[in-house]
Amino acid sequence: MSSLHKSRIAEFQDVLGEPEIVLEKLRELCFSGIPFDGGLRCLCWKILLNYLPVEKVLWSTLLKKQRELYSQFLKEMIIQPGIAKANLGVSREDVTLEDHPLNPNPDSRWNTYFKDNEVLLQIDKDVRRLYPDMAFFQRPTDYPCLLILDPQNEFETLRKRVEQTTLKSQTVARNRSGVTNVSSPLKTSAPNSLSEYEVLPNGCEAHWEVVERILFIYAKLNPGIAYVQGMNEIVGPLYYTFATDPNSDWKEHAEADTFFCFTNLMAEIRDNFIKSLDDSQCGITYKMEKVYSTLKEKDVELYLKLQEQNIKPQFFAFRWLTLLLSQEFLLPDVIRIWDSLFADDNRFEFLLLVCCAMLILIRDQLLEGDFTLNMRMLQDYPISDVLLILKKAKELQDSK
Amino acid sequence: MAKKTYDLLFKLLLIGDSGVGKTCVLFRFSDDAFNTTFISTIGIDFKIKTVELQGKKIKLQIWDTAGQERFHTITTSYYRGAMGIMLVYDITNAKSFENISKWLRNIDEHANEDVERMLLGNKCDMEDKRVVAKAKGEQIAREHGIRFFETSAKANINIEKAFLTLAEDILRKTPVKEPNSENVDISSGGGVTGWKSKCC
Repeated sequence: MSSLHKSRIAEFQDVLGEPEIVLEKLRELCFSGIPFDGGLRCLCWKILLNYLPVEKVLWSTLLKKQRELYSQFLKEMIIQPGIAKANLGVSREDVTLEDHPLNPNPDSRWNTYFKDNEVLLQIDKDVRRLYPDMAFFQRPTDYPCLLILDPQNEFETLRKRVEQTTLKSQTVARNRSGVTNVSSPLKTSAPNSLSEYEVLPNGCEAHWEVVERILFIYAKLNPGIAYVQGMNEIVGPLYYTFATDPNSDWKEHAEADTFFCFTNLMAEIRDNFIKSLDDSQCGITYKMEKVYSTLKEKDVELYLKLQEQNIKPQFFAFRWLTLLLSQEFLLPDVIRIWDSLFADDNRFEFLLLVCCAMLILIRDQLLEGDFTLNMRMLQDYPISDVLLILKKAKELQDSK
Repeated sequence: MAKKTYDLLFKLLLIGDSGVGKTCVLFRFSDDAFNTTFISTIGIDFKIKTVELQGKKIKLQIWDTAGQERFHTITTSYYRGAMGIMLVYDITNAKSFENISKWLRNIDEHANEDVERMLLGNKCDMEDKRVVAKAKGEQIAREHGIRFFETSAKANINIEKAFLTLAEDILRKTPVKEPNSENVDISSGGGVTGWKSKCC
């Protein structure tokens, strides 16, 4: 370890060693990148995302409370409906009078169940394809959810629910053409409809399944926004960071901690995901235009070129901004960018500058290129040195 | 302005429910490869492929869209400039087929009136998981007067044929021009008549 790196770690330890952490100091340090060593990054992110308060004395009570709350959510939103579903399946005749699968009443438990399944299937499709070039999310977690994985369980887990929902849609389709009668949704020997993806044996859970659960709970608790594609790319780097914490007593609680940090982060960026806000002052359209208006200030020649070629910010900045650049770079580089983004107290103003920096750093190519070349470059950004990009963004910030 | 290496530019758009394989269909056509592990498309993506039809070099600029409802305000803004729209469903997913009429309505509302439409039933290699009969796809295509193919990006079935047919249909409608006129730099603000837009 270089002495520079060592002294950097020491600086972090000093700031974090205080009983009451001085947020300004911490932010300043984090802005230039947080060392992975000793779980420093995990800890700093939890503070920067307002999960952990600056008063360290409060930590243990708060963590205990939040983690219990999360397992309460699991019970209420996954386990109890799962048990209820299993019971409904067993004694169907008894409940048909009050509630049944075709009950159109919005209060119907079945109705909620089917609606939830739609959300769940969408989440399922997306989390299975999270960072496909990395093995991590396909690997089993060391801390599967014991509440759910108990082999004695009779209730319907999310995994079963996904399998059965896929099966059920087949049954319904056959009904429509009038060939088959209604068959029980609890038919055994489900065809391996998801065979292209590997599902780990019972008792094991892949990391993507943990992410799926986090997103499902979030969707249930935030029905107004529910699940929007791309949220998987936001929760992914957070979960990866916490689930690779070198301290096992933190790592063990990666799921619950990720859930709360994700919820806090979403509170700041969720407007990007809400369609009805697109054209409002807090919506994504406004932010995309802000990237261009900032570019106009910083590099008018490049701005005019993009305008002239009719390259709209929607063509690339939509993804850059909504996903906090998580699809543009490799995961370790994304994480490094997020150190700086989270450290910015005027959060996500800096993101606009990072986007501008990305444009300005390839200005020569963009000024040369035609529409096609430029679109390709923007959709598949050519520079992988994120430190260079962050340095440029900082320069832009300072030159205000 | 960059040197012209093509005669015509056609703008195409891929739409359809999330997970039906739009990105895979496009990747098979543009790169002749298949990848099961595509990340979900957020907003809009873009590929170029140049083909030769009737002695003309045609540059296809193909926009790949995100399927989820949330992205519709972003993606419908691309309908207007498109000369051809491929509407994709998944033959193993009944819901994606049921939504076809919704997507067709979207096209009616947002696209040019003379846009060439095409319906694709993708994943036709997965016969054992099929829930949408081929006849049903044919029927809805007939009702709307549009072409229909069952495709498989994975097994490379009908992908190239679908894109080339769509391009041919657009070409047939394209007025014959003096070869010279396409080199004229048309001032900006166009784009409605896609193929003579000055970009590229």
